[in-house]
Amino acid sequence: MTFLTFITRNLLRRPTRTALTLLGLAVAVGSVIALLGIAHNFTATMANTFERRGIDLIVLAAGKTDQLSSDISESIPEQVARIPGVLGVSSTLLDLIEIPRGRSSISVIAQGWNWNNFAFDDLEILAGRRLLAGDDHQAILGVNLADSLGKTVGDTIELQGEPFAVVGVYRSLDVFENGAVVIPLRQMQRLAGRPGRITAFGVRVDKSGTDDPGPRVEAIRQQIEAFRGSEGIKLTAQPRQNYLQSASHLKVTKAMAWMVSAVAILIGVISMLNTMVMSVLERTQEIGILRAVGWPPSRIVRMILGEAILLGVAAAVLGTIAATALTYVLSMSPKVRGFIEPGIAPMIIAQGVAITVLIGLLGGAYPAYRAARLLPTEAIRHD
Amino acid sequence: MTEPLLSETIKSLPRPAQAAENFLLYAERICKTYPDGGVHALNEVTLGIRDAEYVAITGPSGCGKSTLLNLLGALDRPDSGDVYFRGQALSQRSNRELDTLRARQIGFVFQSFYLLPTLTARENVQIPMFEGPPRSARERTRRAEELLDLVGMRHRARHRSSQLSVGERQRVALARALANDPRLLLADEPTGNLDSENATLVLDLLTRLRHEQQLTLVIVTHSADVAERADRVIRLRDGRVLEPALACPGPC
Repeated sequence: MTFLTFITRNLLRRPTRTALTLLGLAVAVGSVIALLGIAHNFTATMANTFERRGIDLIVLAAGKTDQLSSDISESIPEQVARIPGVLGVSSTLLDLIEIPRGRSSISVIAQGWNWNNFAFDDLEILAGRRLLAGDDHQAILGVNLADSLGKTVGDTIELQGEPFAVVGVYRSLDVFENGAVVIPLRQMQRLAGRPGRITAFGVRVDKSGTDDPGPRVEAIRQQIEAFRGSEGIKLTAQPRQNYLQSASHLKVTKAMAWMVSAVAILIGVISMLNTMVMSVLERTQEIGILRAVGWPPSRIVRMILGEAILLGVAAAVLGTIAATALTYVLSMSPKVRGFIEPGIAPMIIAQGVAITVLIGLLGGAYPAYRAARLLPTEAIRHD
Repeated sequence: MTEPLLSETIKSLPRPAQAAENFLLYAERICKTYPDGGVHALNEVTLGIRDAEYVAITGPSGCGKSTLLNLLGALDRPDSGDVYFRGQALSQRSNRELDTLRARQIGFVFQSFYLLPTLTARENVQIPMFEGPPRSARERTRRAEELLDLVGMRHRARHRSSQLSVGERQRVALARALANDPRLLLADEPTGNLDSENATLVLDLLTRLRHEQQLTLVIVTHSADVAERADRVIRLRDGRVLEPALACPGPC
C-alpha cells in the first residue's frame, strides 16, 4: 500500500460527502477556469489578429486606453505612413451601432475601414467579397453577426436608418470582429457624426534585415509620439503587447473574471474547510492510533493536506472538462456568439489546477493543524 | 495485613540512572495527575522490566493501569519522575524522537483493536511501516502478509475490519503491533472484548510470539488467566504499586 492509496481510501470513506464536495469544488474551479479562459481568449485572439496583420504599434489619442474613446484626425496616419521604416498603416473608426433585429435591436461593433486597409487581407471571406474602392452603402458582416441576424450576401441591413447591402461575410481571428460589421470609412464617419476622424490606427514597421526588430519599432514609436499634426494632438503609440495589457475593455474583462473567480475560490475554500474539519473530527480516534504507532505530526499534516489536495486536483479535472464544455456551449449560444471562443488555453488550465491546489492547502491547513496537535492518549479516548 | 508500598522499599534500591541501565524499561518515581478533576492517576511509581520479560499489570478499574502503560509506551509524559528505555531518559527525548521510538521499538495492542475501517487487514498491518525502516510498497505488502501468516490471518488479508470477527480483529491488531519488529509489546486489556475461546487464542499467540521473537511483553489486564501466564505481576492500587516492582535485571 502506498501513502497515496491510504489517502484515497480516506476520501472514499464517505463517498457521498466526498462526491458533493468534489462537485461543489468542480463548479467553483470550473467557473474560475471558464471565466479566466474566456478573458484570456479575448486577449489571445486580438493578439493573434495583430500578429497576423503584422501590426507592431497601435496608435490612439494620448491618454486613451480604448478605441471607443479615442479621437484622431484621419490625416495623421497618412503622415505617419511617410516616416521612414513604416511599411503601412490601417485606420479604423470604431463605434457601437444599433441594428434592428426583429422587433428589437442589437448593439454591434461597427468598423469603418478604407477599401485598401491591409486588415482586409487577413479576413477569410466566407461568402461574397470584401469592400472595394467606390463601394457606397455596402457592408460585410462577421460570421457570427450574419448568423445572429440571419443575413447573408444580397440581403440588406439597416444602420442608423440607412440601408446597407451585405456584399460579404467574413471570419476573423478576432472574436470581436466576428460579431462586427465593416463599412466604408466615409460612411462610418457620417453615421458616427465624426467626419474626418478615426479612433485608432495600426502601424506596420519594416523589420527586414534585422534579427531584433525591437529597437527599430521603439524608434518609430518615439517618432510617432513626438509627432504633432496640424491640431497639435498628442498620440500614444504602444507595442501590441502593451496595448493588450492596457486596453481598458480587456482589463475590465480580466478584472470581472478575477472578481467572480475570487468569490468562487472563497466558496471552494470554505467548502473544503468544512469537509476536512468534519473529516478530522470524525477520525480523531484513528488519528490517535496513527500517532500511537509512531506517525509524527508532520505525517498527519501530510495526510490531511494530501486528502485536500487530491480532492482539489480531482475537482480541477472535472472543472476543466466542464469549463471547456461550457465555452463550446456558450460559443454556440445566440446571445453571446461571436464573443466567446470555444476551448481553454493550457496556461489557464494550469492556473486552474494551481488554484485548486491552493484551495486544498488553504482548506486543509486548519484541520491539518488541529489533527497534528492531537495528543495520542487524548485522541484515542475521544468519543 | 498491610501490603508493603514501593515507597517503603525504594531506599534500598540502586540509584535510578544506574538501575535504568539494567532494564529494557525503567520507570522512576513517576507521577501523573489529570487536570480535569485533579485525579492523581499515578503516584511515585517505580518499576523495571527486563528484556524479554512478560509482565502483567493488574488492579481495580481506575487504579492507573492504562495511564502507566501510556507513560511506559511514550504516549504521554509524566508530571514528575522519568521513564527510561534502554537506559535513556525519555524526558530528554524530543517529541519527534518519541514518535520514532514508538514506531520502531514499541508495539501497541488495544482493547478495542482500533483497526482503520477503510483498509483491509493487510493494509492495516502496513500502517506503522510508513515510519519504520525504509521499505518499498511491495516489501510492505510482503511483510504484512508474513505477519498475518504469523497470527493465522493470511486467509483474511483482503478483508476489511467490518468483515472480521472480534477475535480476528485482535489478531490483525497484533500483527500491526509487530510491523516494525518492536522489542517491546504493550497491550491494554487485549482480551477484554473477546470471548473465552478467542481470548485463549490471542493469549496463546502472545505467549508463542514472545518466545519466538524474544519480545518483552507488558499487559494491562483484569484477567486472571492473562496474569497467570506472566513472569511477574505488578499490582496497582490508587496509583501506587503495591509491592516492589523491580525484577532482578539479569537471569535469576
